[in-house]
Amino acid sequence: MRSRRSSTALVVGVLTGLLAFIAVVQVRSQFEVERTLSGVDPTTLAFLIDDLHRANDALATDAGTLSARRAALQSGGDQQAVDQLNAELAQLRMVDGLTAVHGPGVVITVDAPLTALDLQDAVDSLRVAGAEALALNDQRLVTGSVIKGGNQSLEVDGAPVRGPWTLSAIGDPTRLAGAADQMTKALRDDPRVLHADYRAEGDLVIRSTVVQRPFVYGSA
Amino acid sequence: MINVRKAGAYLLVALTALAFGYLLAAQLRTQLLVPGNRVARTEALVRTVQDLEQANSGYRSQIATLQAQIDALEAQAGQRSGATQSLRDQVALLRAHAGATSLRGPGVTVALGNGQPGAGATDYLVNFQDIQDVVNLLFEAGAEGVAVNGHRISPLSSFSGPAGTVVIDQGNPLYAPFQVTAVGNRNQMEQKLGDASNLGGLRNRQRAYGLALSFQGSPDLTLPAYDSTLEVRYAQPA
Repeated sequence: MRSRRSSTALVVGVLTGLLAFIAVVQVRSQFEVERTLSGVDPTTLAFLIDDLHRANDALATDAGTLSARRAALQSGGDQQAVDQLNAELAQLRMVDGLTAVHGPGVVITVDAPLTALDLQDAVDSLRVAGAEALALNDQRLVTGSVIKGGNQSLEVDGAPVRGPWTLSAIGDPTRLAGAADQMTKALRDDPRVLHADYRAEGDLVIRSTVVQRPFVYGSA
Repeated sequence: MINVRKAGAYLLVALTALAFGYLLAAQLRTQLLVPGNRVARTEALVRTVQDLEQANSGYRSQIATLQAQIDALEAQAGQRSGATQSLRDQVALLRAHAGATSLRGPGVTVALGNGQPGAGATDYLVNFQDIQDVVNLLFEAGAEGVAVNGHRISPLSSFSGPAGTVVIDQGNPLYAPFQVTAVGNRNQMEQKLGDASNLGGLRNRQRAYGLALSFQGSPDLTLPAYDSTLEVRYAQPA
């Protein structure tokens, strides 16, 4: 009797072990299949791969720049630190939109009843194409800039703006021209659009700046 | 007594065997889905995406380490000179506004999730424009800093990606569920998010496809620092 009970226990034990094993394999397989098949088609994946290659190239360049900065700090002493801090100050003032900038870029002109959402999308498309500084009708834009209102009373950070629209972007000239071309072609297909065009500029100047709001609620 | 025990043991074996059989069948079904060139190609593409995502995370962690080391070296220089320290303070303020340092304070967290497939091809998926609209609304409502799934938004941040994926800057693709966290004027942000006239497109799809959209205020939230560099390569001070 004792041996029969232990053999039953053995069978149950082995089966339970197998059950656990298969459950794990099953969950893993299903996870993999879902990751592969749930709405992510090959075209989408190809886009993601392109984006990731470009992103990783940019990150590798940034890592190289930072390595060089670290090496210079380690060997260059206090003057090197002052030089690097001044360079970073100048960079951040451009990033934060606090200073006038110049460089290669595009100027897009559109005469059409655009909404705040249209303008937000246009600005985002230019950022995706590598815009480092942007202005809409002489109003400087950063990602936190607020574009709101209807066609007759649009505002950028509280300042009224109205069409015809001029979007200026400084950054990678090739990618910006590609985005501007696509954007203006799409706009010209819309019957409400009276005019949509762009020009590439070798040295474009954006003079407008953002007024920085001090932190009231957040702290570092 | 023995019969009851035996019956119990057989029942246990039978139940185990049943579950075993069910899972074996499910496993076989899963495996039957895998063969075929199309799926194999898709799987190869998925693996490439996963490898690139891993490399992306590696670069960003390398950048964070380098930045911390540079910061420490600059701090040492600051200790030796008041002028250098004053320069560091100016840089720190600009870094904070650029999202390059963490930010703590009251705020809100907006949760977004995919709905159920319906008539509209991809309307049930949260897309990058949805995230962009929520981020813009939060800035309009007084956000001083915003992060999406732990990725801090910078003044140069961009949103892109095919339906169902959101790519922010040079980061990895993000998938639902999404959490948009903002530090700033909590009351004003809650009010804007609660106003039915805002985020109209998202609310319509919430009704049509069951897309998830909710928000929660909090007295104390922390946003991470931007996890890449803010290098400007073409623009120069005028």
